[in-house]
Amino acid sequence: MKTSPKIQKEVIERCKAGDEKAFTEIVLRSQKKVFNIAYRMLGNLEEAKDLAQEVFISVFESVKDLKEEIKFDAWLTQITLNHCRNRWKYLKRRRYFNSDSLDDPIETGDGSMPRAIVDPSDNPEILYEKKSIQQFIQRGLLKLKEDQRELLVLRDLQGFSYEEMGELLCLPVGTIKSKLHRSRMDLKEILERSAQ
Amino acid sequence: MDCEKIRDRFSSLWEKELVPSEEKIIREHLSSCPRCQKELERFGKTMEWLCTVEDVEVPEGFLPELYKKIEERKMAFLAGKSRGRWFLFPLSFKLPAQAIAMAGIVFLVLYLTQMMPTEVSRQKGAEQTSSPLSEERKPEQLFAKKKTEDERGTLDITAETTRRKDIEHVQAPASGKKEIEDIRIAQTKEEAKKEELPVPKSEMMASQQIKSKEAARAGIQTPGPGEFEKELAAKEKPVLASKPSQEITLRIADREQAIFQLQELVKHFRGEMVTEEENRFIVSLPTISFSEFEKELGGLSASTQTDKVMAKKPSTFSVRASPGVKREEGGGRSKEPVKLTADQEGCTVVLILLTKE
Repeated sequence: MKTSPKIQKEVIERCKAGDEKAFTEIVLRSQKKVFNIAYRMLGNLEEAKDLAQEVFISVFESVKDLKEEIKFDAWLTQITLNHCRNRWKYLKRRRYFNSDSLDDPIETGDGSMPRAIVDPSDNPEILYEKKSIQQFIQRGLLKLKEDQRELLVLRDLQGFSYEEMGELLCLPVGTIKSKLHRSRMDLKEILERSAQ
Repeated sequence: MDCEKIRDRFSSLWEKELVPSEEKIIREHLSSCPRCQKELERFGKTMEWLCTVEDVEVPEGFLPELYKKIEERKMAFLAGKSRGRWFLFPLSFKLPAQAIAMAGIVFLVLYLTQMMPTEVSRQKGAEQTSSPLSEERKPEQLFAKKKTEDERGTLDITAETTRRKDIEHVQAPASGKKEIEDIRIAQTKEEAKKEELPVPKSEMMASQQIKSKEAARAGIQTPGPGEFEKELAAKEKPVLASKPSQEITLRIADREQAIFQLQELVKHFRGEMVTEEENRFIVSLPTISFSEFEKELGGLSASTQTDKVMAKKPSTFSVRASPGVKREEGGGRSKEPVKLTADQEGCTVVLILLTKE
């Protein structure tokens, strides 16, 4: 579980007043979280970078409308998720994921895209060891439904609490839990199928 | 508890959210069910992998690029704002401005539509005359000029020698536009004289004929809107004069006496002898006195007979029948009151031919 450092209320107020330094501070504190959510949701570094910048531009333009500074993190995450949903739809329309098929290896941090070599005779455990786990997981995540991926990214990769997720997704905690479990089980199935 | 329900608790078991009693039941089932145990292992492995996924580092230059994008957006916004500024103005400003603009457009349209009909008709006339004389036909224009000069020469010969001096300034050879301008000046002078003093007819007619042609050419060469109007007016007069509306043939025994009587009659009716050739006379008379003149002409002498031929525009001319006058009338309008085309001018042009019995 990872959590980004909390942004102080005072910094947000200064940012609302048009202080560029305060905005820079906000970007530096939350860029990693925004960028990683974007990357895990889209599976592409360039797209994630562009999307994260768009998110901060939206923050820059509309932070003055934020009424409750204490909810800045949730607000920022909400903006990020909305941008991710829109970008995902856009990329799907453009058949971005068809040309770069979901079965293809996922672009890694260093830009290389190695294809996972699957040997059916191998034990799954050995297979998992062979593969870069992160690539494997990323591939699995991208094969999930968008809302399932959101749940896994928020809970298992970003460490959001059920309550926070309930607020973000406007769902009761019980629903979040059951949906999250279903997402995990689906991911397990996907990974097993990929390994075979 | 069946396997499906046990598997639904895997997330809760992994996150240690189950109450001890519930956890105990699940553990018992797992120990007795290798399938569910295997499933739990795989599930646990997936969860471990998920949790081991590390954050990716933000690419270098993220912040400077972000600021660059923000600047670009600002510029684009300002450009868009300046473009769509009109939409931001309040209605209290926009409505009067639009009303003023609309009124301006309406006035402009009205002004143009008032101007257009006459302008268009004149331009059409100009096109009709000017179109054959395009730049390609400049040599033809020169030829036509020469021809006009020749015509003037012939007119000079036919005109009375005593009046030659008076029209010399009209005939004086000139070249190009200067010639045309001189003719125009002469024309205006003569018109002024015509109003004040009785001008020698032959001179006037000859000059008018020349003017009409010259004016037509001048109009062709310089079809300016103001000048064109004047030239058209100047053109119409001599055309009327050069085409006598009435033609009367007098059969006479004594030529000298008949000419004398004719001159007297013309003077009496305040008319003018336009041209006097051997047996051919063109007389300009006030329209009102034309019928009386015709009567008198018919009764010049017992031996005198008149042949009257209607002119080319019979519908506009009607002359009362008189004894001894042979008439050819056009249409059924012979009994209409005297109304001539020259009414506009106030005079009627009559061609009188003398023939010996």
